[in-house]
Amino acid sequence: MTSSNAVISRASARKLVVATVAGAVLLALSTLFAPDRVWANLLVGSYYLITLGLGGVLFIALTNVCGGGWQAAFRRVPEAMTGVLPVAGVILLATLAMRLGEYGWHHHGEGDVGTFWFKELWLDPKFLAVRAVAYVLLWIAFARALVGRSHRQDTLPPTSNARIHAGMSSVFLAVFAITISLAGADWIMALEPMWFSTMWGVYQFSGLIQATLAVMIVACVLLRRQGALEGVFTDEHLHDLGKLLLGFSCFWMYIWFSQYMLIWYANLPEETSYFISRTHTAWAPVVVGSIVLNWIVPFFVLLPRPCKRSESIMLKVAAVVLVGRWVDLSVMVFPPVVGDLPVFGIPELASIVSMSGLFGLLFAQTFSSAAPVPRNEPFLEESLHYHA
Amino acid sequence: MSEQTSPLRPPLVTGDKTLGDVTRDITAPMAGKPTGLWWAAFAISSTALLIGVAAVWYQIATGIGTWGLNRTVGWGFDITNFVFWVGIGHAGTLISAVLFLFRQKWRTAVNRSAEAMTLFAVMCAGLFPLIHMGRPWLCYWMMPYPNTRGSLWVNFKSPLLWDVFAISTYLLISAVFWYVGLIPDLATIRDRSEPGWKRRISAILSLGWDGSARTWHRYETVYLLLAGLATPLVFSVHTIVSMDFATAVIPGWHTTIFPPYFVAGAIFSGLAMVLTLMLIARKVMHLEDYVTPKHIERMSQLMLSMGCIVGLAYGTEFFMAAYSGNPYEQFVFKNRAFGPLSWAYWTMVSCNVLIPQLLWFKKVRTTLPLVFVIAILVNVGMWFERFVIIVTSLHRDFLPSSWAHYIPTSIEIATLIGSFGLFFTCFLLFCRVAPAIAIAEVKGAAHLPRRGGATAVSEEQAA
Repeated sequence: MTSSNAVISRASARKLVVATVAGAVLLALSTLFAPDRVWANLLVGSYYLITLGLGGVLFIALTNVCGGGWQAAFRRVPEAMTGVLPVAGVILLATLAMRLGEYGWHHHGEGDVGTFWFKELWLDPKFLAVRAVAYVLLWIAFARALVGRSHRQDTLPPTSNARIHAGMSSVFLAVFAITISLAGADWIMALEPMWFSTMWGVYQFSGLIQATLAVMIVACVLLRRQGALEGVFTDEHLHDLGKLLLGFSCFWMYIWFSQYMLIWYANLPEETSYFISRTHTAWAPVVVGSIVLNWIVPFFVLLPRPCKRSESIMLKVAAVVLVGRWVDLSVMVFPPVVGDLPVFGIPELASIVSMSGLFGLLFAQTFSSAAPVPRNEPFLEESLHYHA
Repeated sequence: MSEQTSPLRPPLVTGDKTLGDVTRDITAPMAGKPTGLWWAAFAISSTALLIGVAAVWYQIATGIGTWGLNRTVGWGFDITNFVFWVGIGHAGTLISAVLFLFRQKWRTAVNRSAEAMTLFAVMCAGLFPLIHMGRPWLCYWMMPYPNTRGSLWVNFKSPLLWDVFAISTYLLISAVFWYVGLIPDLATIRDRSEPGWKRRISAILSLGWDGSARTWHRYETVYLLLAGLATPLVFSVHTIVSMDFATAVIPGWHTTIFPPYFVAGAIFSGLAMVLTLMLIARKVMHLEDYVTPKHIERMSQLMLSMGCIVGLAYGTEFFMAAYSGNPYEQFVFKNRAFGPLSWAYWTMVSCNVLIPQLLWFKKVRTTLPLVFVIAILVNVGMWFERFVIIVTSLHRDFLPSSWAHYIPTSIEIATLIGSFGLFFTCFLLFCRVAPAIAIAEVKGAAHLPRRGGATAVSEEQAA
């Protein structure tokens, strides 16, 4: 926060540090009375954070590959989001390490062992740990390469077009598609080791991109109010981000429904276990809540054009979606770890406060490390003057 | 309204065209007599269509016992062809609606013919379930309405019925979208043609288009609304087609990834078909300045990305089969890759996943004959994908006593040939009666001078 172009004041930075530390201490103390809940919160929180960082890289890579120009003006926002990757990666890996041994990813001797050879191999704790480290390192490496290139562009002539680097972006997209599918299966689906769904990877992707867009909306609007993106981030950009959020909220619902409907319709016991522990228990209202937050609210609110161009409405919808993402992740993680009864109390609040504070700090720090608007950007004029 | 466009963007139309040139070049193939090449293509495709008509006639008269289906393999060529053709149509909707919403201006070079393709492909697709009924003259029984057939009522729980709704909606919206897009161009044809039947018909079809600002404003509003309506259709149609399989409990059919995987596969195959047709059409109809190598490259990139998504889905299915520990699931996938129909499986993997990887190289994407070959192979691969999913999942039932083989009969092959005949006959007729490229949209997107290119102006000044 010592940088000259810091986007938050020292006082706000201090508040964020206090929130992060206080939340972390409270969470640590909670292990005394509810270790399972603390672990579940750590997994939800760190996965939430790391997927936001990854979402930043995804947005940059996608727009690079598609030759997008509209996002050039606020590109530093998704770039700053990638700043959370290393820290979130460490927390996530530490969380996994805590339970890697006794966790019981796979209960040996259950079912017909002959057909379980692959699961034995795949969920072997050592292999699992190696894979987790590999995913996180790959993500950080790509984030550094893509963001680094964009920062270097600031000092190069505008015609050099060095930042686009569609080649590396498209390689990242391929790596991302494979790693997010596997990581989602390793870290969350394997919490219920007998359950499986081929849709899982797509489901992870849909939540990731939805939350990424919501964070970008919040960050861009706040930075415009603060001044860093004033006159740069326009209502046209806000409108387009709103359209994307509307579209990907529908995509999330489409994927969620397709997975649920096919399992419900076929009614096979090895598949329904996932939904029985979530829709036939006290979790049912929470599942409904996640649908309301992730789809019903964004869909109906964002349909009219004026809503997508209104700062205050967009902020509220983005906030609803971000809460929805937390609820969605909790519905995935809590039932197998904590049990059939939904809980919300000190550990959950502490984790949310701590992780939000951490995200704010890391985002502000990364954003301040470069010019708020890319210099020498060949698509900048296009981005500043375009109409949604 | 002048928009800011980065100098890095390649021009959409090459060859120093003026607005007048665009109209002249695109309407040129419709004026005058068809070329010998057109007649040759038309003769081949209408012969194929006739073969199909004869085959359909024979099988309806005799019964669908003329097919190679048996008690184990209850779906074969019929549903393979159905899914194949529905998929082909999807690129049309993607290019015309989704890329429109994403402001990808290069779509203007191909959207018209891709939309026409959608219509013809859906017609071909509809043919197969219709003849599969055995008594196609009773097809109106699929419509839910109060009737005098006692307790006979459609089964709303069946995905096959959802298909009826999804595909008829799709056909309707695609047709409206295509027609609305044609209106300004029909007016152009009306204004350019001599008095006579051609002018009279285009005058009726262009609905009194006057080119005023108010007309344009309303037209663009309708077009945007239709694009918004058509976008969910890209997803819904093939999602529901995938549910024909995925709601069953057959290993190899019942898997949750099917909806998005089928949608991606459909777009993949559709793009391959658009590329196949446009690479020929641009040469034959002299439209190289409108469908430039840059357009081909963009479509190749899209095709590559869809191919990778499809490849990821194949991988996911195998991974989950191994991971699940379910012996039946594992058997189906082992059987796919190493069983008696493994040749079909490996044809699919080679054509859909391995060969398209060549498109990562710019050199390949810009070598048009190579793109053409890859596009044809993707068409083949996507047909085999449906064949693999349908037949390999069925032919080895849970009980080995019910294992059976499936060999298509000549009637089934003739019907498939006939569907290609129908598709290409319709497409060739379309090229004769409507502009193959959306004239008004190209003009709107490409920022061309009203008359005389930069060079023409300087020559005038020099004179």
